[in-house]
Formats: sequence, structure tokens, C-alpha cells
Amino acid sequence: MGVEPRVGLWMPLATLAFCTLIGAVGLDRYGAHVQDEQLTWSGERVLDAMVASDGSVDRLQALDGIKVDRIVDDPAPRKYRFLWSLRGEEALDPANVDDAALVEVYLAARKAAVVRSESDHLKVARTHAGAVLVARVDRGRDVGTLPFYGGILLGLILCLGMMIWRGTGIYSALLGALAAFVPVAGGAAWAAHGLTLQAHELATAVASATGLQAPFVSNPAGVIGLAGLPLVLMIVLGIWTRSRASANRVAYTYLMPAAVGMGLLVLVPFIVGVALAFMRHDMGTFTWVGLANFGQILSSEGYGLTHPLSFYFTLAVTIGWTAINVVLHVGIGLALALVLQRPTLRFRGVYRVLLIVPWAVPSYITALIWKGMFDKQYGMINHVFGVIGLEPVAWFNGFWTAFTANVTTNTWLGFPFMMVVCLGALQSIPRDLYEAADVDGASAWAKFRHITLPLLKPALLPAVILGSVWTFNMFNVIYLVSNGQPHHSTDILITEAYRWAFEQDRYGYAAAYSVIIFLVLLSYSLLTQRVTKAAEEAYG
Amino acid sequence: MKQTPSTAMNIATHGGLICVVVATLFPVLWVIKMAFRPSQTFATGLNPFPTTFSVANFTDLFAEPFFWEQLGNSFIVAGVTTVAGVFLACTSAYALSRFRFPGRRAALMGFLVTQMFPGTMMMIPLYHLLDQLMLLDRVLGLVLVYSTTAIPFCVWMLKGYFDTIPRAIEESALMDGASQFTLFWRIILPLSRPAIAVTALFSFMTAWNEFILAATFMSDEAAYTLPVRLQQYVGQYTAEWGHFAAGALLVSLPVMILFLVLQKHLVGGLTAGGVKG
Repeated sequence: MGVEPRVGLWMPLATLAFCTLIGAVGLDRYGAHVQDEQLTWSGERVLDAMVASDGSVDRLQALDGIKVDRIVDDPAPRKYRFLWSLRGEEALDPANVDDAALVEVYLAARKAAVVRSESDHLKVARTHAGAVLVARVDRGRDVGTLPFYGGILLGLILCLGMMIWRGTGIYSALLGALAAFVPVAGGAAWAAHGLTLQAHELATAVASATGLQAPFVSNPAGVIGLAGLPLVLMIVLGIWTRSRASANRVAYTYLMPAAVGMGLLVLVPFIVGVALAFMRHDMGTFTWVGLANFGQILSSEGYGLTHPLSFYFTLAVTIGWTAINVVLHVGIGLALALVLQRPTLRFRGVYRVLLIVPWAVPSYITALIWKGMFDKQYGMINHVFGVIGLEPVAWFNGFWTAFTANVTTNTWLGFPFMMVVCLGALQSIPRDLYEAADVDGASAWAKFRHITLPLLKPALLPAVILGSVWTFNMFNVIYLVSNGQPHHSTDILITEAYRWAFEQDRYGYAAAYSVIIFLVLLSYSLLTQRVTKAAEEAYG
Repeated sequence: MKQTPSTAMNIATHGGLICVVVATLFPVLWVIKMAFRPSQTFATGLNPFPTTFSVANFTDLFAEPFFWEQLGNSFIVAGVTTVAGVFLACTSAYALSRFRFPGRRAALMGFLVTQMFPGTMMMIPLYHLLDQLMLLDRVLGLVLVYSTTAIPFCVWMLKGYFDTIPRAIEESALMDGASQFTLFWRIILPLSRPAIAVTALFSFMTAWNEFILAATFMSDEAAYTLPVRLQQYVGQYTAEWGHFAAGALLVSLPVMILFLVLQKHLVGGLTAGGVKG
């Protein structure tokens, strides 16, 4: 028998972490059931349900066996106002029963808050905007939390036991991993089946009762798939690594956890997003329209080329916005770094700390504060204007003033990053180069031009590319400061796409917009052709 | 040796720097001023220093329904994201730094390209995905999304730092019979502490400051993270600047403290990899 390849603790521990995660998912999901004081919907099968979307008591009274004596009148709380404001006022008219019903049915199906129970078999749930959901339920099996806690614990014991028994070799690692996985995954799947069955039936019942499409039907395959994926990968990789511990395989093993996560939560949504770009969204259904969305956008259909809603106008604004910001970020950052790196400067540590502050402030706070600063009436900026004898400016009424407000905010936000990058890069330039230049009698400008700049470039270039990509997609500042005012003219591509999706409900169109944004960025970085090269040079 | 610059030059430099610092700190001081002012309007005038000291805004905030839940959510989300993000970034950065394998370049590029994915494009599919996994309104859903958002930048940074660690150390450890995992765990990670600290800081900030995804995925007020609630204070319907400022101060505090603690590493951690000499 050959020598068992040793992989250390890494393998069983990682598997255990995965299993714990799955157990946590299961627990978390299990906790998703809604609890009244004593009542819970978990484990009950919904036989029938009905929604009074307008909250009308009459329709409920008509239901057999239900006496509704109290429906709390609940003015839509702030959060739903917010939900609506996120999606646009006109998109969701509370008076439009269909829209409201759709949202309410969905919310109800997802986590109906049980407000009272008429009997063992009838439950009345009130959702937030006053819609009422009545469901007839039947007690089914109640899945306890035991499979999860028990599974995690059992897995842990078995895993440790295997390692003590057989050492930390690959075989015991695999066996231990398997031992840890099976009870957790089994419990999760079992409970998930019970739960999703219930959620599924509730959604379907609600849909049939209201004649609406069930917009979101839960799928047990998702959770089981989530549980199974890491196991399969672990086993495949384990066997693969076992056969011969070639460097490649070790490398893939190290890369795998992040790759799985990125694949599931970045790549899959991205592909779905691309697919959406070829569809049209209408009341919850998507139809294939081919390239129509792209055609509409690129021909700026319905708008003149210089209209603020035209794609080309927005593109021009976005490019201008990115260029100006990056130049300001790098310029200010580099200038400050050059000053701060002088060893003779006193208090440089203090200055450095104070100048990094904007980076530490969350960007939405910065944006909102600057919005206040630019307020016509109360804003500090206009106050300063008044002191030096200038007329107050209505910043958000004109394109250039609003654009200036955005740029000011983003400059304040972004220069510390570049400053820190420059500081780091400057530190690594060998001092003796400057000393040699001094001996040769080089001027300060010559030293900057011929020593500092060329040596700064490799570190600065990736930062500049990354910085321009971030600025190109800088949603927060535009959305919170100017919010596209006046008339969407200061919107950049990403905020424009957001509006199409969440204010107009044109998901397909917005997705096409996003695909174009992505392609613009991709060709930008390919055009410079230096991303890879510079990155390779810089980062090896 | 360099000669000391003249006094005039010195004064000019400090004068300039102080101007920049004032401009930098002004909005921050404004937040502090408004937080301690017992009023909900935006503070006017030019004096950035607090003129009153009232804690009414803070007590109001603490009395809000769900405030403590939201604070807790924020801490859990940011904390777990940090641990998960740093762990995943460390292992992948190690693979990318120490191994030459088929697909390495593609992986490096892949991490970079994900930075170009527009958020609007991901939002709807992510919403459906989380819905399928029944993770909407659950802290875990946000953690998963944030971790993967934070990874690419962290990977690039860590990889750059790992590259600067001489391989000779590992080679001699290998001679002594250390396993691959020992190299990673006992040599690379301890040596990279500054870079890991900075990476952790960025992961933490990603999760701590995000509000758009959180606002989209969380519809239950008790499941909100703090930023979602905070930016509603000065939203379309309300303008409670006092409450907003008090909350902003509370939210910024942990990040500020982390920044101050880690700022020495920031300079090195961010660029060490970019400029190996």
C-alpha cells in the first residue's frame, strides 16, 4: 500500500464548514416559518387559501366558517412606502387592485403573518397594506430543529472520531466529511421538502383563489442542490487530489471555495441577466423578443439624439463623469501623496489620518450630506456664496450645476483611495535614485518626470483602471445627490438602467441596458489592452 | 542628505494642507453638529462645530422599533461577510500567487471582469435566486451576496501581497517536511497579517455600507440592516436630518475606529504587491 497523501486538517475542516453552513441554511429556513404566540404554520399543509386583496371584510365574511371581527387598519408602514418608492410611484398604484394584489399575494405567500386562528383548520393572515389572506390548513408533520443541530453535532463527532482513529490522511478526511455531511444534508432536505411543499401549495392555492399567476413558486430542488453541490465537488476534488497530489490539483482545491461561490452568486445571475436582455417583461411574464431591446436603445427610439433619455446622451455624460472624476482623484491623490511622503514634513501622520477620513465614511452618508450642502435654501455652499456676495444657485435645476455637485461629492469621496495607492507606491521607489539625480543636479520637475512617474506607473495603472470602472458604475452618488435632476440629464448609464428596471418595470430593457454597460466597460479595458499586461507586470 | 526646505516653503505647504484638511473634514463636522442639535432641519450657517449638545436624536433613534435588531443585523452581516470573504479570498489568492496552472490567467481576469458587471443587471436575477433558496428577508442571503461581491478586490490585493513574500521561506519549510497546507497556514498567512487586516476592513465595509441590495432583498423591517433604515430618514417623504446625522455618526464610528487602527497597514497592504522592487 502506498503512502497515504497527507492533506492536513484542511479538507475535513472545510467540509465541516460547508456542512455547518448547510445546517445553518436549513435552520435559517426552518426559522422562516411565521409564529404567532402559539401558532405556527410550519409543517401544516395548506389546503385552500383566499386573498382579499383590497382588504374588504365583506369578501371575507362570505367565506364559510369565518367570522372576522377585527381587521387592524394599518396605514402602509414606512418600509412599504420605501419599497414603492424604490420601484417608482406610478408602477404600483395602491388603487390598482391587481398590482397591489400581486405584491400582497407574494408577500403573503412568502411569510404570511398569522394574526389569528379561527379554528384548528382556519387561519387568517393580515399582510401589510391591509390585504387579508385566509387559508385552510391541515396539520402535517412538524419538522423539528433536531436534524440540523443533531446533524451538525453528529457530523462534528464523527469527523473528529475519524481523524483520531485514522489520522488526518485523505481517506479519513473523506470519510469524516461524508459522515458529517449525510445527516445534515438529509435533515435539511427532509425539512426543506416539508417546508417548500407547504410554501408551494400556499402559493398555488393563493394563485388559484385569486386568478393571479403565482409569481414566485418555491422549489425544493434549490436547497437540495445547494446542499449537494459542495459535497459532490468535495468528493470529486478529494479523489482527484488523492490520485496524485500534483500541484495543479492542489491549486484547484484552494481556488474551489471561492469559485463555487462566485459561480453560484455572480456568474449565474449574470447569465440570467444577459438572458433577460432578450426578453420583454409584462406583469410578471417574460417573452422572448430577440434583439428588440438593443435596437430600441441603440437607435434611441422615441427620443432625439440629444434628449436626456437618449442612450448616447447618457453615454456621453457617463464618459465625461468618469474622465473628470478619475483625473481629479489621481491628480489630488498624487499631489497630496507627494507632499505627505516628504520625510521632513512635520505632522505627516496626522495629515494622513485626517485625509483618509472620507474613505471611512459610508458613501450613502457622504452623498446625502453633500446633497444637503447643495440645497438651495439651507445649503452651506449657497451660504458661502452669500458671504462672498454671489447669488444663491439652484444647484439641481441646471445640468452643469447638478453635474458639478455630483463631481464634487465623488471627488471628496474618492481621492483618499488614490492618495493611499500613491503613498504606497512612492514609498517603494528607492531613495538612492533621487540622491543620484541630486548629484547630477536634476531639477525637481526632472526628478518627478523621469523617476517618480515611470516608477509609479505599474502600481497606478491597475488602480486607475479599477477606479474608472468603479466610477463608471458609481450608483450611490448620482442616485442620492442629483437623482438625475434636471429631467434625468445627470443620470449615468447605471442609474438610467436602474430606473428602467425599478421605476418602469421594464426589466428586459434594463437588462439590455446593463449588457451594454458591461460591453462598454469590457471593451474599454480590452482597448487599453493593458489590464492584463499591466496587471501581470505589476502583480506578476 | 536632503536639505530642509525654507521656512516660507514650509508654511506654504502646511497652509495648503490645512486648507485641504478643512475641506475634507467639513462635511464630517457637519454630521456631528447636526447629530447633537435637537432639530430635524438641515443645519445652516458656516460654523461647523456643534453649538448645542443634545442627545435627543440618539435617544429617539434607540427608541425606534427594530433599531437594535437592525444594528444587530448589520453587525452579523458585516462580521460573517468579513470572515467568509477573507477566508475565500485568502485561499484563492494563495492558489493564484503560488501555482501556475491552466486557467490561472482566466481566473485572474475573471475576478477583474466581475467588477464590471453592472449592479442593476445582477439585482433581478439575484432576487429570484435568493427567493428560490428562500433566503429573502434572511441575514444569510445578504451574507452570501456580500461575500461574493467583496471577493474579487480582496483576491487581487492579497495575491499582490503574497507575491512579495519570498519563496525561499516556503522552500526551506518544504525541505523540513511541511505539508502544502502548513505552508499556507503557518507561513503565508502569518506573514500577510497587514494585508489580511486591510482585506478584512474592505470586506467589512462592503457589507456594512451597502443599502441598495439590502433594501431590495429585505422587506421586513426587522430584517433591515441599518443603512436601509438610515437613508430613509432623508428620503422622498421625510427629512429628519437630526436622526439621520445621529445614525450616520453611529454607523461611521466602527469603520472609523477600524480605519484608525489599520491605517498604518493601509498604505503597505494596498500596494505592496503592485510594486515589488
